[in-house]
Amino acid sequence: MAAPLQADHDAAPIERWFASRGWTPFIFQRECWCAYLAGESGLLHAPTGTGKTLAVWLGPVIESLHHADTQADGPRVLWLTPLRALAGDTADALSESLRAVGSGWTVELRTGDSPSSLKARQRERLPSALVTTPESLTILMSYPGWAERFRSLRCAVVDEWHELIGTKRGVQTELALARLRAACPHLRTWGVSATLGNLDEAAATLVGSAAPAARLIKGAESKRIEIQTLLPESIDRFPWAGHIGVALADQVLAAIDAAGATLLFTNTRSQAEIWFRTLLTRRPDLLGKLALHHGSLDRDIRLEVERLLRADRASRSELRCVVCTSSLDLGVDFAPVDQVIQVGSPKGVARFVQRAGRSGHRPGAPSRIVCVPSHALEIIEFAAARDAISTGALESRPPLRKPLDVLAQHLVTAGMGGGFDEADLLAEVRTTHAFADLTDEEWGWAMDFVGRGGPALTAYPQYARVAAENGRWTVRERRIATLHRMGIGTIVGDAAVRVQYQSGRTLGTIEESFISRLRTGDRFVFAGQTLELLRLREMTAYVRRATNRRGAVPRWNGGKMPLSTQLAHAVRSRLDLANQGLFDSPEMLAAKPLLDLQREMSVLPGPDDLLIETLRTGDGHHAFLFPFAGRLAHEGLGAVLALRLTRLQATSVQAVANDYGVELLGAEPFHLDEPGWRALLTTDHLLDDLLEALNATELARRQFREVARVAGLTHQGYPGRVKPTRQLQASSDMFFEVFSQFDPGNLLLTQAMREVLDAQLEVRRLRDALDAAARARLVLVCPADLTPLSFPLWAESLRATNASSESWEQKVRKMVVRLEARSVAPAPTAKSRRRSRAPVA
Amino acid sequence: MPPSLEVRWHGQELHLLASRALWWPSRRALVVADLHLGKPAAYRALGVPAPEAVTEADLVRLQEAIRHVDAERLIILGDLIHAVSGRTDATMDAVGRWRRAHQALEILVVRGNHDRRAGDPPAEWRCDCVDGPFAEGDLDLVHEPDSAAERPALAGHIHPAVAGAAPVGPSRLRAPCFWFGPMVAVLPAFGVFTGARAVRPAPGDRVFAVGDGSIAEVACAASLRRR
Repeated sequence: MAAPLQADHDAAPIERWFASRGWTPFIFQRECWCAYLAGESGLLHAPTGTGKTLAVWLGPVIESLHHADTQADGPRVLWLTPLRALAGDTADALSESLRAVGSGWTVELRTGDSPSSLKARQRERLPSALVTTPESLTILMSYPGWAERFRSLRCAVVDEWHELIGTKRGVQTELALARLRAACPHLRTWGVSATLGNLDEAAATLVGSAAPAARLIKGAESKRIEIQTLLPESIDRFPWAGHIGVALADQVLAAIDAAGATLLFTNTRSQAEIWFRTLLTRRPDLLGKLALHHGSLDRDIRLEVERLLRADRASRSELRCVVCTSSLDLGVDFAPVDQVIQVGSPKGVARFVQRAGRSGHRPGAPSRIVCVPSHALEIIEFAAARDAISTGALESRPPLRKPLDVLAQHLVTAGMGGGFDEADLLAEVRTTHAFADLTDEEWGWAMDFVGRGGPALTAYPQYARVAAENGRWTVRERRIATLHRMGIGTIVGDAAVRVQYQSGRTLGTIEESFISRLRTGDRFVFAGQTLELLRLREMTAYVRRATNRRGAVPRWNGGKMPLSTQLAHAVRSRLDLANQGLFDSPEMLAAKPLLDLQREMSVLPGPDDLLIETLRTGDGHHAFLFPFAGRLAHEGLGAVLALRLTRLQATSVQAVANDYGVELLGAEPFHLDEPGWRALLTTDHLLDDLLEALNATELARRQFREVARVAGLTHQGYPGRVKPTRQLQASSDMFFEVFSQFDPGNLLLTQAMREVLDAQLEVRRLRDALDAAARARLVLVCPADLTPLSFPLWAESLRATNASSESWEQKVRKMVVRLEARSVAPAPTAKSRRRSRAPVA
Repeated sequence: MPPSLEVRWHGQELHLLASRALWWPSRRALVVADLHLGKPAAYRALGVPAPEAVTEADLVRLQEAIRHVDAERLIILGDLIHAVSGRTDATMDAVGRWRRAHQALEILVVRGNHDRRAGDPPAEWRCDCVDGPFAEGDLDLVHEPDSAAERPALAGHIHPAVAGAAPVGPSRLRAPCFWFGPMVAVLPAFGVFTGARAVRPAPGDRVFAVGDGSIAEVACAASLRRR
């Protein structure tokens, strides 16, 4: 018998409800309830599994039963979820438990999709429990009087905290929670998270420094994960490089046939479209039993697939397999999923565990995941993933520090929601983990940015987004407030074009950069269909089904997620074991011929080795380095090394990167001995060289798009939504230009550059890799031909980045603009004018 | 000497300047499009911080272009003033001072869509304001390009930019451009704070990208794909 709940709280209705369902509360559930009732905040974490919602929800419910709360007493629980799609299911689950225990509480939903009448009512009166997203909460807090309306709140729950932490939405959540803590004297904060490598930090970030530390509670034990890798019959015929992996399609079909419902995860949307089509082409009888689910598809299509998944067993629906991307990583558990198939590298251990956990929800049943390598080296990655799971080596998600664009947005929101006192708000903002070490200068800059436009007194005449009156900063202009509210949030999507049939049915959205290269009559594959482009108007592409099934598959951005440090480490350990002759898993046995070949032609690098292979082919002179630091860090490393080599040898050097290493290709041999390589791999001037090599200004300019949007400089329209005002159609490029020229001290420019270095280039990992190289034993080998390790890099060379430093003019001269080969060429015409979508029309 | 390129188009000798202006020697006229004066002020009125220094910088560039070619006339192909809310004292005074410093200059404004809402410039700027198409020698002057036009025309309005893949590497280049079609030549927006949209030239069109203080013709190759 588990410990009784705290004596002064009556949990009998809960106990009776559990008993009536034949449940016994888990120990971690009781631990959560007791901690909550004792006034503590906490973070509940578990790799997968059940019971987490009730663990954090029932504490407040027990408390309310004791006090006989009703809605008239004001809001008690705020439930934040990162996914709109999850909010409805959560609200249903919460309501069901309330009915069961006879509570008088009300539960309501508030998301971007909620009817405006409900939203208006909630601005006046909140339910006992409100289920919402960080964005919708922030909007509620932008109305004066929010603090009074929230004052009775006792518990804020952040669901799927691991999805928010590490993002600007996470920082937005931190800031909102800090405001709530100041307004609500009894507030406790509870988070629910998947298992992470930095749980202590995640817990500290959740509660900030104004509240007592959060208690870490571990949820249900992780399920056993059965990992099976589909192996090619002969490794000799299996591709050494590539990323699609359809070579094993027949084995995948057999696996789908052998199990009940299957989720087939791919790493990119393009891959999902290709796999969906490949499976259907090989097995037309699967038509209607196979579905597609990815983030670009229309919400209704996705919801329908999710509904079918959930209903599968009960309704005997014929759905056998859903081909999906990370779009199904999150969200409701689909009880009837029997097996998960992972196509391609898992990239990270935590993600692999989470995907595996999508299957086998019956008590005691293991999670089953079938791995499909898309090329030979990935076979080793699956063995390595199994090792990493058993040692519990999970990735961390470090929270962001000091994103000033989010702070600027927060200042305006606070100015709208009743105004603020500068000193009070600064103190409050500094209680968050994100802004704990915000300097007075940075704060001053942010206040200037929203108060005067910028630090220079004359640069921004007649400007005041937020203005002070008697020491209180408020937003007085109604139209500024309206504009700001439309822009609240930190999610910045790519410019997206809606894909729609003539009849009006929407299929989803597609990157503007892809669709704008197509011409009328061109075919492309989307949503599992081959479509023909009829016309492109405003931000909508009108299409019809094409009779011919051949078409281009759009390449969505993303999918460039690098191999995590943890998984890379596990791969290196596997290679080391192989070097010692240890092949103790089916994957390693299958990969043995390949690894033997690598050892024969070159060496298998040990954990403290940096292998460098040099080789001459018809393309030129190659050097392959294998630091195993992930693609992003290798891209930066390649650019830096190429730049340094051009300085040494005055030849042009091309660099190519993948998750394992870097290829340098030059017209002349690299005359480098060990000291020469060591000098080349120095961390001295790393940042300068990196910025010079990668045209960092251009990267920062692109990154500035997100910063400008969050800071309220640009106001994006969405497909199907009217832009806020034509007068405000602005591109972030314009602001990047004029700030660089007229306000170079603007900290948003600095921030864009920092985001490029941290997130896009993983400069920390690059530095770590160079530090490791300095300690490593350099193994210089001259193989006779491309080795199993170097071949994938050689095959990547299409993505080449060049280290030559051409002038803008030279680049333009070389640039090729693809033309529309129209039979008549009336351009520039009125028609083409519309197409060009002039910014100031 | 700032870079420029000479183009012959419908019998006219036209010089394309890297400063986003066009010099038409036979008419002694510097032609520009889409100044959008007062746009930063209009933005600030809506709570978006846009530096006022943009106005001064645009006027200085305009002055340099005029001096460089020794123009007697300035032709503005529409959208001189961005919005009514942009007609702040600071902006209007700055332009007024600039005008007084260029007494001898004749200014012709072909009204654009923004001008129709923002209103004609004040009388002391001494601008002749006309609606397009307006015949100027052998060419028409218009704001919005018109495919049905029978006479070749110089136009603005689109703020054209050209975007294309660099021959090596993952980066895409993007730059404002002059866009010459069979019957219409579109100028890039002159104002710095105006933004630009990528256009899709047709075969036979000529495109000249400006940026970084230089101007270069862009090679336009027919798509390699079928059809």
